Amino acid sequence: MKINPSSHVPIYLQIAEGIRAAVAAGVYRPGEALPSLRNMAIQIKVNPNTVQRAYDELEREGLIYAQRGKGLFVAEKGTASAQSQAGDGVRRVLDEAVRAGQAAGMSADQVRELFNKAIQGMIKIGSKRR
Amino acid sequence: MTPQKDTSPAIEIQGLTKRFGRTVAVDNLSLTIPRGSTFGLLGPNGAGKSTTIKILMGILSAMAEKLQVLGVDVRTNPKLVKQRVGYVPEMHHIYRWMRVSEVIGFCRSCYQPWNDRTCRETLDLFALDPAKKVKHLSKGMLAKLSLLLAVSHEPEMLLLDEPLSGLDPIVREEFLEGVLGTICSRGQTVLISSHMLDDVRRLSDTIGILNEGRLLVQDNIDHLLTTTKRICATLKDGCRPERPPEGTIWQRVNGREWIATVRDFSPDKVQQVSALDGVEHVEVQDLGLEELFKDFIKGQRVSK
Repeated sequence: MKINPSSHVPIYLQIAEGIRAAVAAGVYRPGEALPSLRNMAIQIKVNPNTVQRAYDELEREGLIYAQRGKGLFVAEKGTASAQSQAGDGVRRVLDEAVRAGQAAGMSADQVRELFNKAIQGMIKIGSKRR
Repeated sequence: MTPQKDTSPAIEIQGLTKRFGRTVAVDNLSLTIPRGSTFGLLGPNGAGKSTTIKILMGILSAMAEKLQVLGVDVRTNPKLVKQRVGYVPEMHHIYRWMRVSEVIGFCRSCYQPWNDRTCRETLDLFALDPAKKVKHLSKGMLAKLSLLLAVSHEPEMLLLDEPLSGLDPIVREEFLEGVLGTICSRGQTVLISSHMLDDVRRLSDTIGILNEGRLLVQDNIDHLLTTTKRICATLKDGCRPERPPEGTIWQRVNGREWIATVRDFSPDKVQQVSALDGVEHVEVQDLGLEELFKDFIKGQRVSK
């Protein structure tokens, strides 16, 4: 998981987004445990309090659940819910791209053309999933 | 009877002033850091960061209304503070002629308690050779040894004064791992001063920006970053902005471009700017910690 400490986005939100993406991609599957607070904090070099906040957020969303004394696990519906949440993330990035186009004085058609080119690139790289 | 848990803040400073001759190094500083939090102390060179940390350790004397560390007045009981706080100074005062194992033995005899297990684990984590002489250690190894000595007496708080400066990225990462490991195990309070803003961001929940001995801001890092923004306006030819929006900490006009960094951002502030005569187009930009820090400091220099 990549954390960007230069971004204005709170790090706990970056962690939550990173875990959602990892669950959506099948890195962590339903029923499997997430790394402990300590392991995650040391792995991504972030204060454990911040990791805790990200875990709390994901627990509230229902993506993960706590089992007393055992740790945190990915919920049964975790993958599906992570994929829909990941959609929200994509939407945010697209909104930003559209705003950048608008600020540069581009027309909707010009932005659309760039979007289509990006999709073409994605098809070339190819995805084995779905 | 169970011992009462001490709920006093980790650090409580009120009206702290320190002068060196005519120079005011710390100017009426008030600061409270709750237990269990990590506080990043930022500031340009000469802002008074090291002086403040040395005062907290009882190494320098100072005038203050209140000067408490872990509920103890540093001025009346500096020894107790030194026992309970792990300190990594900017300049390491470790005897150069000793071997690593001898330095550890020496510090072990000075501190009660001393945790041999933590010491051994940190020695392994940092791959420090006990047989090596201090004078033969690299700068990175010396920094790691200094952290090892600071964490091995099980302190309730760590004071880290510029521990990362001059270290290569790998050593910095190992050092961070060492600090995070002890936070995870013991839930310590940490105060770190550093110019490595990305590392401060990773570690801290709260930051303070010190400039010329005065605290410009103290806030939760996420709150500060999400509520401080740059309003960038394009000006019509020949126009100068009349007045900056409320809460402006720094502004600059460069040709047709007018940038104002504002605290407590709200959409009204954009409207205010849009409504000004001579303003053509307005855009809002987010700031990273480094830009935010620089804008706070530059704003002070301009306003002089």
